[in-house]
This record gives sequence, C-alpha cells and structure tokens, in this order.
Amino acid sequence: MDIKICLIGMGVVGTSFLQLLYEKEEFFERKFDLKFNVNSIFEIDGALIKEDGIGLKELLNNKKDIKNLPNWKNGVTPIDLISKLKIDVCIETTPTNHKTGEPGLTHIIEALKNHIDVISSNKGPFYLEYEKIKNIAKENNCSLKYEATVASSVPTLGIRENLIGNEILSIKAILNGTNNYILSRMTAESVNFAFALSEAQEFGYAETDPTLDIEGYDAAGKLVIIANDLLDYSKSITDVKIEGISKITPQAIDLAKSEGYVIKHLAMAESNKLIVKPMLIDKSSPLNINGTLNVIELQTKYAGPIILIGRGAGGFEAASAIINDLVNIGIKKQTKS
Amino acid sequence: MINLEVKIPDTPGSLIELIKPISQNGGNIYGILHFHDRKINNMIPVNINFELIEDIKEISMQNIKLELKEKNIQIENVSYGIERKGIIVLLTGHVFGTDILDTLQRLASKSIRVLELHAVFTEFEEVSNVKLKIEFSEGTTKNEIVNEIRMICDEKELFLITN
Repeated sequence: MDIKICLIGMGVVGTSFLQLLYEKEEFFERKFDLKFNVNSIFEIDGALIKEDGIGLKELLNNKKDIKNLPNWKNGVTPIDLISKLKIDVCIETTPTNHKTGEPGLTHIIEALKNHIDVISSNKGPFYLEYEKIKNIAKENNCSLKYEATVASSVPTLGIRENLIGNEILSIKAILNGTNNYILSRMTAESVNFAFALSEAQEFGYAETDPTLDIEGYDAAGKLVIIANDLLDYSKSITDVKIEGISKITPQAIDLAKSEGYVIKHLAMAESNKLIVKPMLIDKSSPLNINGTLNVIELQTKYAGPIILIGRGAGGFEAASAIINDLVNIGIKKQTKS
Repeated sequence: MINLEVKIPDTPGSLIELIKPISQNGGNIYGILHFHDRKINNMIPVNINFELIEDIKEISMQNIKLELKEKNIQIENVSYGIERKGIIVLLTGHVFGTDILDTLQRLASKSIRVLELHAVFTEFEEVSNVKLKIEFSEGTTKNEIVNEIRMICDEKELFLITN
C-alpha cells in the first residue's frame, strides 16, 4: 500500500524522522507491505513539493539549503496547499507556541478537515485544545496520533491498548528531563539551583529561556495529554495546579536526604485533579530516577503499579515515536481497504 | 490500631488458630492479652492488638472475621484505636522572620503536632530551610493537614514541599 506523507517542520525532529524513515523504508515495505512516500515538506517560508515523491537519500545527502533544490516553492504554506495535494498522512513537527498552540493547531485542524490522518510531536495544540481536535478527527473519521508529544520514545499513550483488560486509576510521573537533571545535580553535588541550571544550559538540556521548563509549564502540558488520554479526563493546561523548582535550595535537599527522601518534580493525576509540584519521595522509590530521564508510574486496578522509564527528549527519540504512529496508521488503512 | 476481643478454648493450638487469619491477611500484631482468671466453660477471653495495611484495611478485616467464624472462634468486640500518622514538611523562605512561633501555634490549634524541627540557613540573609516532623491523628487525612499548612505558607510566602 502506498501512503503519501506531508511533513510540516524540518527541524531536529522533522529531519530525524526523514532519516529514520529512509533507514527503515525497505523493512516497512517487506514486513508490512507499506510504502511511505513523502511528497511535501513545509518550512516557515515555503515548501519542497514533488507529487511523485521526494527522494529521501538525495534530500538527506544534500549539503545545500533545502531552498536551493529544484522543487522548492517559495512562500507557500500548508494552508494554501493541504487541500490541493494528494496526502494520506500529515506529520506536524513545528515548535510549540505555549499560549496559542499555533501554527501547529491550524495545521492539524486543516489536515483533519481535509480528511487527512494526522501525527504530531507538537504538544501545544493538545494541551490547549484537546477536545476540539479530537472532535474534528472523529467528525472527519481520521486517525490522530501524538505519542511523541509525551516522553518522546517511551510508549506512554500507546500502553492503553495493552491495558484494555485493566483500569488505570492514577498517574505519577517525571515528565521534564531538564528539571530532573537540575534536581539530580543539586542532590548529588549539593550545588545551588542557578549553578545546576547553567550547567544544564551548557550541555544543551535547558533552553536559553528555561522558564517553561523550570516553572513546570512543560510538564503540566504533558500531564494534560496523558491524563486526557489514559484517564479519560477532559482538561486543558489551565486546569493544572503548577509549582516550579526554582525555589528549591540545596539545604532543603539535604534536609530531605536526612529523612531518606529526595525532592523530585512530580506530575500527578488522580481523582480528576492535575498537579505539578516538587514532592519528597522515598529514595528507594522507582520514581527516583536521575539525569534527563522521564518516568511514568501508572497505578492500575488489577495489577498495581506499572512503571515506564526512558529518554523523554531528542530528535531520534521523538522520530521513533512518530514512525510507530505512522506504521500503526498504515496498518489500519490496509485493514480498511 | 485494631483491638479484637475473642474467646478461645483453653486447649493447645487454639492461640495459633486465632493468629493465623490475622497474619495471613497482613496483620502486624503488637500484643496479645490472655485473661485466664476470667475462664468460663473452658473458654478464655483474649484481646489481640494489631495493625493492617491501610489501603486494604477494610477487606483484610472482613477476611479475618470470616476466617475466624469458619474456625468457630467467637468475636466479642472489635474496636479501632486512635492512630497517629506522620508527614515530613520542608519550608523554605523567611520562616523565622514570619514568626515561627505563630506558625507552630496555628498548627497546634488544628491538632497538628510538631514532633521535631530542624533549621538550616542559606547563603541569603534570613532565608532558612526548616524541616518539620508532624504527627496527626486518624480521622484527619494527609491532604487536610497539608491544606492547613499550605494556607499558612501562602500567607507567609513560604515555599512548601511535603512527602
């Protein structure tokens, strides 16, 4: 089966996706009889369009700016062309605007309204307008997948399909690698917050403006998506009680240690409430993970806790989640046809 | 703490039969009292004190009652004592500058007892970190206690972390 793909955003995640798709395209064809064909790649100021398919090998080997390639069309936007091109799946990987969810929100809605299945790594639209997007997907009978928005490669949202015979009651998680790195360093070396943050920035774990991470907004957004998906909540980010980590001192961490605790920035969903705040957890708890790792503990009705741990950020990590969503959509399309 | 009053026959092995259902349902036994002096018709009154795992307390107690009934052990009474529970609280900010005595008195007025207090000062003037070990009685939830502490912290602009 031939599946035509439109990629919006060719940053770190978009480029990693193309590279991974190129590496695995033969395998997907052999194993699943799925041939993925990228026919359009949109950037902020134009698009590379080739209706019979962009050669990924040539594109990835190309050392020139994408805008210098023969099929580049300057100034066109996804909104101009999404209804005109033949597209089966739209992959949205643009950066998140945390206040508006744009431009990703409009891209996703336009694709769905044109009966195009959507995969997104862009969390803003989902923590701001989850219900709206879900309803549009349903009205247009489209698949909508967004595993990469939460904990990247860790199969967090997809686990629901493997827990149909169980029931998830509550969630406790560490969803922001930057904050976990900072707190891990403060715990291990007794350095202060400012020092640990500057170190995280130096290693590329924290943004130049780290506000969204350290004040808990990023973790809150991810928590909304997980809780809506796994616990059937209907929340947006304004429903989350959020406290950041910037007021934590090394002395407070030492006091916690003296009682056998560590301080972790937890995202919690229980009894229809969403909270992100620093908490004391037992040092032997499985939530006591170090560095930039993410952890998600699902409390289940019939099997107690189920714990997922892994890298929650990075181009290939997110790309692997997108590829997984893509193959699942492809298999679903095969079943339908 | 649960206090179970039963009557068992004054025969070898009876006590083991009483203990088995409690331990098999996760009970942590603190004490057993025999009242040989109150033996009537070869039956001895026995009081047994134990704790059960909080999350499954009700179902464990139901099982214990059922299993004792199957063993023909007669339950005279079950009572639940007042249990003290604890939490650890960390406060960061002007903990002393905002009148720590007032903070402790307000907690005490809500039956929140501070067992221990440790303070460490930071490099910033007057900003301190205080660890409180707090005890509260059964019947009050941890969330209620944390909410009481949070109200004081919000008013005094103290940063609060709990377990």
